Amino acid sequence: MNPTDVHALVGAYALDAVDDLERAAFERHIAECAACRTEVDELRETAARLADGTWSVPPPRLRGEVMAAIGRTRQLPPPDAVPGSGRSGRGRWRRYSVAAAAAVVLAAGTGATVYAIQDQRVRDQSAIASAAELRQQRTQAILSAADLVVRTEPMDGGGRVTVASSAAQGASVVSIRADRAPGAGRAFQMWTIRGTGNPVSPGVLDPGEQSAVRVVDGVPGNDVFAVSLEPAGGSAQPTTVVAEVPLT
Amino acid sequence: MAEYGAARDRRPDHLSAVPAPPTDVGDLLRGIARGDEAAFGRLYDLVAPRVYGLIRRVLRDPAQAEEVTQEVLVEVWRTAARFDPSRGSATAWVFTIAHRRAVDRVRAEQAAADRTLRVGAASVDTPYDEVVDEVSGRLERQQVRRCMDDLTELQRQAVTLAYYQGHSYREVADLLETPLPTVKTRMRDGLIRLRDCLGVEVTA
Repeated sequence: MNPTDVHALVGAYALDAVDDLERAAFERHIAECAACRTEVDELRETAARLADGTWSVPPPRLRGEVMAAIGRTRQLPPPDAVPGSGRSGRGRWRRYSVAAAAAVVLAAGTGATVYAIQDQRVRDQSAIASAAELRQQRTQAILSAADLVVRTEPMDGGGRVTVASSAAQGASVVSIRADRAPGAGRAFQMWTIRGTGNPVSPGVLDPGEQSAVRVVDGVPGNDVFAVSLEPAGGSAQPTTVVAEVPLT
Repeated sequence: MAEYGAARDRRPDHLSAVPAPPTDVGDLLRGIARGDEAAFGRLYDLVAPRVYGLIRRVLRDPAQAEEVTQEVLVEVWRTAARFDPSRGSATAWVFTIAHRRAVDRVRAEQAAADRTLRVGAASVDTPYDEVVDEVSGRLERQQVRRCMDDLTELQRQAVTLAYYQGHSYREVADLLETPLPTVKTRMRDGLIRLRDCLGVEVTA
């Protein structure tokens, strides 16, 4: 992605319609292009005007909660706390943060290498997007099946598991929505149980993943769909079962 | 109201015994940066309904919107000293934080299939009609509404789908069945037209 391509994202950037990689690339670009910054600032200012009409009164208790929260929250110092830096402090702080963001994504390298890597990452993302589209088609096929049966059960600790099954499709769309994310190094794992046999796991969520929707093959025909809390990567047998959805 | 305004106009500023509390968001932010909680309270009263309204429109779910609103306002308190008036207005700074947080929440939650399930389960939201209705029907600021009317259909849809529903430009391209470069361009020239119509200027 060359700088011209990057700059074409200015509208999408101002609308927060870019992904994290593109955001990092774009912020790197404007750090190097003072003239571009005015356009970015003006388009952000313009985008913010779209919030003018979104008035909605929050619940009255929110004010007290927010005031209590700020009482516990330490404030950042002004950016020009460094003596003699004056207003430029803000600019420098921005450059550091932009550089840091770019570094996280792209490691070190020349501009050309950076953009080449960026480009590859975007292509990878397109591949992921196509896979997502296929998954979406499958999801739609299951959800629109004539024999669809939807069952929902609460999760221990808050949240719910919904299993939408189509025997004709031989699969279910499973939605796991926990109120709280599993702790660090832990993950939700899915299980199917038939009769008195051992539970079989069709997959594990990512570590820390709090909610997910998955297409799971082979769920119809089992007796129970369960979710357990496990160490990241999952276990051979369920440790702590947090939800059980009877399927029959 | 009119009398009060007239009385104020006659009173030289340097003679006011009790200065009126500042209602300019930028002034409030300067106080907040120094740890003034009362100034933060006034800022809350000024911007919370719009912040909550914006986040609620993007997220749909009132409980989540409340949570994110709180995060955003605490972030405003925490980072008030970093507000730089040379890069834009104080209100825009607040709404930029709010919008970014709302969109981050949407992205964190939603895989493509996730949305399908929600639509399948609830069968309510059409991709963009609702938003277009809201934008054209309920915008309080006549000026923004009038300026939105000046956009082409594609510009308006691209801008509103991204801003009010938190869609990425790729998703917008899918929804509108329009090539990616076209969507990027329409977002940019749509905002430029809006900027010129609203007379937005950022002077460093």
